[in-house]
Amino acid sequence: MEQVGDNIIRHVSNSDIDHPIFSFPHLFHIDPTHPLYSWLAAMSVTKHVLMLWIVALTVGLVVILPIQRYVQQRRLIPTGLMNALELIVSFVRDSIVKPNVGPKWVNSWAPLILTFLFFIFFANAIGMIPIFDVLGVINRFIFHVPANDSHNFINGLLHGGPTATGNFNVTAALAIITFLSIIIAGTKAHGFIQHWKNLVPHGLPGFVYVILIPIEIIGMFVKPFALTMRLAANMTGGHIALLAILSFMAIFADMFHSVFAGLGVALISVPLAAAISGLEIIVIIVQAYVFTLLSAVFIGMAINVHH
Amino acid sequence: MEVIHYFGAALGLGLIVIGAGLGIGRLAAAAADGIARQPEATDKITGAVNLPLFLLEGVAILAEVFVLLIVLMK
Repeated sequence: MEQVGDNIIRHVSNSDIDHPIFSFPHLFHIDPTHPLYSWLAAMSVTKHVLMLWIVALTVGLVVILPIQRYVQQRRLIPTGLMNALELIVSFVRDSIVKPNVGPKWVNSWAPLILTFLFFIFFANAIGMIPIFDVLGVINRFIFHVPANDSHNFINGLLHGGPTATGNFNVTAALAIITFLSIIIAGTKAHGFIQHWKNLVPHGLPGFVYVILIPIEIIGMFVKPFALTMRLAANMTGGHIALLAILSFMAIFADMFHSVFAGLGVALISVPLAAAISGLEIIVIIVQAYVFTLLSAVFIGMAINVHH
Repeated sequence: MEVIHYFGAALGLGLIVIGAGLGIGRLAAAAADGIARQPEATDKITGAVNLPLFLLEGVAILAEVFVLLIVLMK
């Protein structure tokens, strides 16, 4: 019963820093304790980094390749996958970016927002596909690799259909891009000095500024922080809820010392988990949309100042 | 007294659900009301409701993360 909590945490967290999936010092036969190469050990590929690579590959195959092929062909009529992509792209440009950023800057900020949308959507969605859990079952029962073999590649990946966006570091990196783009957008629209002046409205009595300026500066950092937390916590929370409901089977079987108790609970918890998976699919789409929408709103707030 | 932080976390979770539920409920009620009165403004109302909804959800999620931290870090 104590294993349940560990299992859940291992599923949502990144791999242990001592047991990464590819360890570069290991691959190149270098002593990791050597001071010159210690950075190489820190660069080792963990579960979430591997997932980010897979996401990048998927975005390349599903989004970039069809668009390149469409741009190179002579006909203007899109076919197949390009139809769906064009629908999404025009939706994002016309109803997320344009109302917030304004018609003048729409073409300079739509690419960034679209990149956010596709990357976050694929990163969220791949986390819901239990690729590695299936590979783990094959590994365990067909190739007979023992579960405690920590040097096995598949075993290193196990306990995670890892969602890369469920890691706070990944979403923090995305939010930092938003943070910098807010400053760049304001600077390009109003000039460097004027952008910082725009943070507070002018023409107020002096004592108001004493309160307002710190609040606005804190707000500047709170925006990306909230973006980070919202995305990562949503992705992690969904997985924890799913696993906790499925773990009831193990918990009840252990509590009553009988397999049938577990099977009885399975009658309730498996359909419930299936329903929550359906909810998770909505959450995946909504969170990708929310991140892009809020990024567009914040960039728009720096460009169209309301005072 | 070893497990008292669990009480705090459970109480906090309940309060978060009450707060977030009330907030989202009020938003949804007002939006439904507005759309019923003026069906042609549906798109504008949905757009205006979306942003505060997500900001509110963000606050609730943040609170949940802190509750989780209380439990995990004691």
